[in-house]
Amino acid sequence: MRKGKEDPELDDFGRFSEPALLILISLAEGPKHGYSMTEDIKMVAGVQLGPGTLYGAIARLESRGLIEALKSEDRRNPYRLTGLGERALRARLDSMMTVVRAGQRRLASV
Amino acid sequence: MKRLVWLYPARWQRRYGDEFIAVLASQRFSIGLMMDVVGGAVDAHLHPQVRSNELENRKGEDTMTNEMLKRCAAGGPKLSAHDQKIASITMVISSLVLTTLYLVLTKIYRSRPAVEAIGYASFPAIWMIYEQTAYLRKRSLLTQAVIAVAITGGMYAFMFGVCEIAARL
Repeated sequence: MRKGKEDPELDDFGRFSEPALLILISLAEGPKHGYSMTEDIKMVAGVQLGPGTLYGAIARLESRGLIEALKSEDRRNPYRLTGLGERALRARLDSMMTVVRAGQRRLASV
Repeated sequence: MKRLVWLYPARWQRRYGDEFIAVLASQRFSIGLMMDVVGGAVDAHLHPQVRSNELENRKGEDTMTNEMLKRCAAGGPKLSAHDQKIASITMVISSLVLTTLYLVLTKIYRSRPAVEAIGYASFPAIWMIYEQTAYLRKRSLLTQAVIAVAITGGMYAFMFGVCEIAARL
Protein backbone atom coordinates (compact mmCIF):
# COMPACT_ATOMS: atom_id res chain seq x y z
CA MET A 1 0.00 0.00 0.00
CA ARG A 2 1.29 3.43 -0.86
CA LYS A 3 2.01 5.56 2.21
CA GLY A 4 1.84 9.33 2.51
CA LYS A 5 4.70 11.30 0.98
CA GLU A 6 5.50 12.92 4.28
CA ASP A 7 6.55 9.81 6.23
CA PRO A 8 9.11 7.91 4.17
CA GLU A 9 11.15 6.85 7.23
CA LEU A 10 9.12 3.71 8.01
CA ASP A 11 8.44 2.66 4.42
CA ASP A 12 11.36 0.28 3.95
CA PHE A 13 10.91 -1.61 7.23
CA GLY A 14 9.08 -4.54 5.61
CA ARG A 15 7.56 -6.85 8.21
CA PHE A 16 9.06 -4.66 10.95
CA SER A 17 6.96 -1.69 9.93
CA GLU A 18 4.11 -2.29 12.38
CA PRO A 19 6.36 -3.27 15.34
CA ALA A 20 8.45 -0.16 14.63
CA LEU A 21 5.36 2.03 14.74
CA LEU A 22 4.28 0.44 18.05
CA ILE A 23 7.76 1.06 19.48
CA LEU A 24 7.66 4.72 18.43
CA ILE A 25 4.22 5.07 20.05
CA SER A 26 5.53 3.44 23.23
CA LEU A 27 8.57 5.72 23.36
CA ALA A 28 6.40 8.81 22.79
CA GLU A 29 5.50 8.43 26.48
CA GLY A 30 9.16 8.57 27.54
CA PRO A 31 12.37 6.50 27.49
CA LYS A 32 11.97 2.76 28.04
CA HIS A 33 13.96 -0.49 28.11
CA GLY A 34 13.08 -3.31 25.73
CA TYR A 35 11.15 -5.18 28.41
CA SER A 36 9.10 -2.08 29.38
CA MET A 37 8.31 -1.52 25.71
CA THR A 38 6.91 -5.04 25.27
CA GLU A 39 4.75 -4.61 28.38
CA ASP A 40 3.52 -1.19 27.27
CA ILE A 41 2.78 -2.37 23.73
CA LYS A 42 0.90 -5.38 25.09
CA MET A 43 -1.22 -3.05 27.21
CA VAL A 44 -1.84 -0.45 24.51
CA ALA A 45 -2.22 -2.61 21.39
CA GLY A 46 -2.80 -6.10 22.82
CA VAL A 47 0.22 -7.37 20.87
CA GLN A 48 3.04 -9.36 22.46
CA LEU A 49 6.23 -8.61 20.50
CA GLY A 50 8.76 -11.45 20.56
CA PRO A 51 12.38 -10.50 21.21
CA GLY A 52 13.40 -11.27 17.61
CA THR A 53 10.80 -8.89 16.21
CA LEU A 54 11.36 -6.27 18.92
CA TYR A 55 15.11 -6.02 18.39
CA GLY A 56 14.82 -6.32 14.60
CA ALA A 57 12.63 -3.20 14.73
CA ILE A 58 14.77 -1.44 17.37
CA ALA A 59 17.94 -2.02 15.30
CA ARG A 60 16.27 -0.52 12.21
CA LEU A 61 14.89 2.47 14.11
CA GLU A 62 18.25 3.11 15.76
CA SER A 63 20.25 2.78 12.54
CA ARG A 64 17.98 5.36 10.86
CA GLY A 65 18.21 7.78 13.78
CA LEU A 66 14.52 7.56 14.74
CA ILE A 67 15.37 6.41 18.28
CA GLU A 68 18.57 6.52 20.31
CA ALA A 69 19.98 4.57 23.23
CA LEU A 70 20.57 6.46 26.46
CA LYS A 71 23.67 5.84 28.55
CA SER A 72 23.06 3.32 31.27
CA GLU A 73 25.10 1.82 34.10
CA ASP A 74 24.35 -1.72 32.96
CA ARG A 75 24.37 -2.85 29.33
CA ARG A 76 20.58 -2.73 29.04
CA ASN A 77 20.12 0.69 27.51
CA PRO A 78 16.83 2.54 27.63
CA TYR A 79 15.78 4.13 24.33
CA ARG A 80 14.17 7.45 23.55
CA LEU A 81 12.53 9.05 20.58
CA THR A 82 14.70 11.48 18.57
CA GLY A 83 13.39 14.61 16.86
CA LEU A 84 13.38 12.73 13.55
CA GLY A 85 11.51 9.84 15.18
CA GLU A 86 8.90 12.19 16.59
CA ARG A 87 8.31 13.76 13.17
CA ALA A 88 8.10 10.33 11.52
CA LEU A 89 5.58 9.16 14.13
CA ARG A 90 3.42 12.28 13.73
CA ALA A 91 3.48 11.91 9.95
CA ARG A 92 2.55 8.23 10.09
CA LEU A 93 -0.28 8.81 12.58
CA ASP A 94 -1.65 11.70 10.48
CA SER A 95 -1.55 9.44 7.43
CA MET A 96 -3.39 6.68 9.32
CA MET A 97 -5.96 9.16 10.64
CA THR A 98 -6.74 10.24 7.08
CA VAL A 99 -7.41 6.62 6.14
CA VAL A 100 -9.49 6.03 9.30
CA ARG A 101 -11.63 9.11 8.66
CA ALA A 102 -12.21 8.07 5.04
CA GLY A 103 -13.21 4.58 6.18
CA GLN A 104 -15.58 5.90 8.83
CA ARG A 105 -17.15 8.34 6.39
CA ARG A 106 -17.81 5.57 3.92
CA LEU A 107 -19.16 3.22 6.57
CA ALA A 108 -21.54 5.91 7.79
CA SER A 109 -23.09 6.11 4.34
CA VAL A 110 -23.67 2.32 4.12
CA MET B 1 16.81 -20.40 26.05
CA LYS B 2 19.58 -17.84 26.60
CA ARG B 3 21.75 -19.78 24.19
CA LEU B 4 19.46 -18.83 21.32
CA VAL B 5 21.25 -15.49 21.28
CA TRP B 6 24.21 -17.35 19.78
CA LEU B 7 22.25 -17.60 16.55
CA TYR B 8 22.75 -13.86 16.10
CA PRO B 9 25.85 -12.21 14.58
CA ALA B 10 28.65 -11.46 17.07
CA ARG B 11 28.40 -7.70 16.57
CA TRP B 12 24.65 -7.82 17.11
CA GLN B 13 25.17 -9.86 20.31
CA ARG B 14 27.60 -7.29 21.66
CA ARG B 15 25.12 -4.49 20.99
CA TYR B 16 21.77 -6.04 21.97
CA GLY B 17 22.63 -9.39 23.60
CA ASP B 18 21.96 -8.51 27.26
CA GLU B 19 18.74 -6.65 26.54
CA PHE B 20 17.56 -9.39 24.22
CA ILE B 21 18.15 -12.06 26.88
CA ALA B 22 16.21 -10.01 29.45
CA VAL B 23 13.19 -9.76 27.14
CA LEU B 24 13.51 -13.42 26.11
CA ALA B 25 13.59 -14.53 29.77
CA SER B 26 10.42 -12.56 30.50
CA GLN B 27 8.35 -14.50 27.95
CA ARG B 28 6.90 -17.98 28.24
CA PHE B 29 8.48 -20.60 25.98
CA SER B 30 6.45 -21.51 22.90
CA ILE B 31 6.99 -22.59 19.31
CA GLY B 32 5.93 -19.11 18.23
CA LEU B 33 8.61 -17.56 20.44
CA MET B 34 11.24 -19.92 19.02
CA MET B 35 10.25 -19.03 15.47
CA ASP B 36 10.34 -15.33 16.32
CA VAL B 37 13.88 -15.68 17.69
CA VAL B 38 15.11 -17.78 14.74
CA GLY B 39 13.43 -15.43 12.25
CA GLY B 40 15.09 -12.47 13.98
CA ALA B 41 18.47 -14.22 13.75
CA VAL B 42 18.09 -14.90 10.02
CA ASP B 43 17.09 -11.26 9.52
CA ALA B 44 20.07 -10.03 11.58
CA HIS B 45 22.41 -12.02 9.32
CA LEU B 46 20.72 -11.04 6.07
CA HIS B 47 20.08 -7.38 6.92
CA PRO B 48 22.72 -6.32 9.46
CA GLN B 49 21.74 -2.98 11.00
CA VAL B 50 24.56 -2.83 13.54
CA ARG B 51 27.68 -1.34 11.98
CA SER B 52 31.09 -1.13 13.59
CA ASN B 53 32.76 2.25 14.07
CA GLU B 54 35.30 1.14 11.51
CA LEU B 55 32.61 0.67 8.86
CA GLU B 56 30.88 3.92 9.73
CA ASN B 57 34.11 5.86 9.41
CA ARG B 58 35.08 4.45 6.06
CA LYS B 59 36.04 6.96 3.42
CA GLY B 60 33.85 7.59 0.40
CA GLU B 61 36.01 5.69 -2.06
CA ASP B 62 36.06 2.54 0.11
CA THR B 63 32.52 1.58 -0.83
CA MET B 64 30.99 -1.88 -0.98
CA THR B 65 30.97 -1.73 -4.79
CA ASN B 66 34.70 -1.00 -4.90
CA GLU B 67 35.37 -3.78 -2.42
CA MET B 68 33.40 -6.24 -4.56
CA LEU B 69 35.24 -5.11 -7.69
CA LYS B 70 38.55 -5.61 -5.92
CA ARG B 71 37.49 -9.09 -4.87
CA CYS B 72 36.39 -10.01 -8.39
CA ALA B 73 39.65 -8.72 -9.83
CA ALA B 74 41.57 -10.79 -7.30
CA GLY B 75 39.57 -13.90 -8.21
CA GLY B 76 37.47 -14.16 -5.06
CA PRO B 77 37.43 -13.25 -1.40
CA LYS B 78 40.70 -12.64 0.39
CA LEU B 79 41.16 -16.13 1.76
CA SER B 80 44.25 -17.16 3.64
CA ALA B 81 45.91 -20.45 2.74
CA HIS B 82 44.37 -21.99 5.87
CA ASP B 83 40.85 -20.81 4.94
CA GLN B 84 41.25 -22.09 1.39
CA LYS B 85 42.35 -25.45 2.74
CA ILE B 86 39.31 -25.70 5.05
CA ALA B 87 36.91 -24.61 2.29
CA SER B 88 38.43 -27.10 -0.17
CA ILE B 89 38.35 -29.99 2.31
CA THR B 90 34.72 -29.16 3.14
CA MET B 91 33.85 -29.15 -0.56
CA VAL B 92 35.61 -32.45 -1.26
CA ILE B 93 34.01 -34.18 1.76
CA SER B 94 30.57 -32.80 0.81
CA SER B 95 31.03 -34.08 -2.76
CA LEU B 96 32.01 -37.55 -1.55
CA VAL B 97 29.14 -37.74 0.94
CA LEU B 98 26.53 -36.60 -1.59
CA THR B 99 27.87 -38.84 -4.36
CA THR B 100 27.91 -41.89 -2.07
CA LEU B 101 24.43 -41.06 -0.83
CA TYR B 102 23.14 -40.69 -4.39
CA LEU B 103 24.71 -44.00 -5.53
CA VAL B 104 23.41 -45.95 -2.53
CA LEU B 105 19.89 -44.53 -2.84
CA THR B 106 19.83 -45.14 -6.61
CA LYS B 107 20.80 -48.75 -5.98
CA ILE B 108 18.00 -49.19 -3.46
CA TYR B 109 15.16 -47.01 -4.81
CA ARG B 110 16.21 -46.57 -8.45
CA SER B 111 15.27 -43.27 -10.09
CA ARG B 112 12.51 -41.97 -7.88
CA PRO B 113 12.06 -38.17 -7.80
CA ALA B 114 13.34 -37.96 -4.22
CA VAL B 115 16.57 -39.70 -5.28
CA GLU B 116 16.95 -37.85 -8.57
CA ALA B 117 16.58 -34.57 -6.70
CA ILE B 118 19.72 -35.40 -4.69
CA GLY B 119 21.68 -35.81 -7.92
CA TYR B 120 20.45 -32.50 -9.36
CA ALA B 121 20.79 -30.58 -6.09
CA SER B 122 24.30 -31.87 -5.39
CA PHE B 123 26.25 -29.62 -7.73
CA PRO B 124 24.77 -26.27 -6.67
CA ALA B 125 24.68 -27.45 -3.04
CA ILE B 126 28.41 -28.25 -3.05
CA TRP B 127 29.19 -24.90 -4.61
CA MET B 128 27.02 -23.14 -2.01
CA ILE B 129 28.72 -25.04 0.81
CA TYR B 130 32.10 -23.89 -0.50
CA GLU B 131 30.91 -20.30 -0.76
CA GLN B 132 29.44 -20.41 2.74
CA THR B 133 32.63 -21.83 4.16
CA ALA B 134 34.63 -19.12 2.40
CA TYR B 135 32.46 -16.08 3.06
CA LEU B 136 31.17 -17.01 6.50
CA ARG B 137 34.50 -18.22 7.80
CA LYS B 138 34.58 -15.65 10.59
CA ARG B 139 31.11 -16.61 11.82
CA SER B 140 30.51 -19.25 14.48
CA LEU B 141 30.35 -22.90 13.44
CA LEU B 142 26.70 -22.96 14.48
CA THR B 143 25.88 -20.06 12.14
CA GLN B 144 27.74 -21.73 9.28
CA ALA B 145 25.96 -25.03 9.95
CA VAL B 146 22.49 -23.42 10.14
CA ILE B 147 22.98 -21.50 6.88
CA ALA B 148 24.53 -24.49 5.06
CA VAL B 149 21.70 -26.80 6.15
CA ALA B 150 19.05 -24.22 5.25
CA ILE B 151 20.51 -23.63 1.78
CA THR B 152 21.07 -27.30 0.93
CA GLY B 153 17.64 -28.16 2.34
CA GLY B 154 16.00 -25.42 0.28
CA MET B 155 17.92 -26.50 -2.82
CA TYR B 156 16.84 -30.11 -2.32
CA ALA B 157 13.19 -29.14 -1.74
CA PHE B 158 13.19 -27.12 -4.97
CA MET B 159 14.81 -29.92 -7.01
CA PHE B 160 12.46 -32.48 -5.47
CA GLY B 161 9.48 -30.36 -6.52
CA VAL B 162 10.85 -30.10 -10.07
CA CYS B 163 11.51 -33.87 -10.29
CA GLU B 164 8.09 -34.66 -8.87
CA ILE B 165 6.39 -32.44 -11.47
CA ALA B 166 8.56 -33.90 -14.26
CA ALA B 167 7.65 -37.45 -13.17
CA ARG B 168 3.93 -36.65 -13.38
CA LEU B 169 4.06 -35.09 -16.84
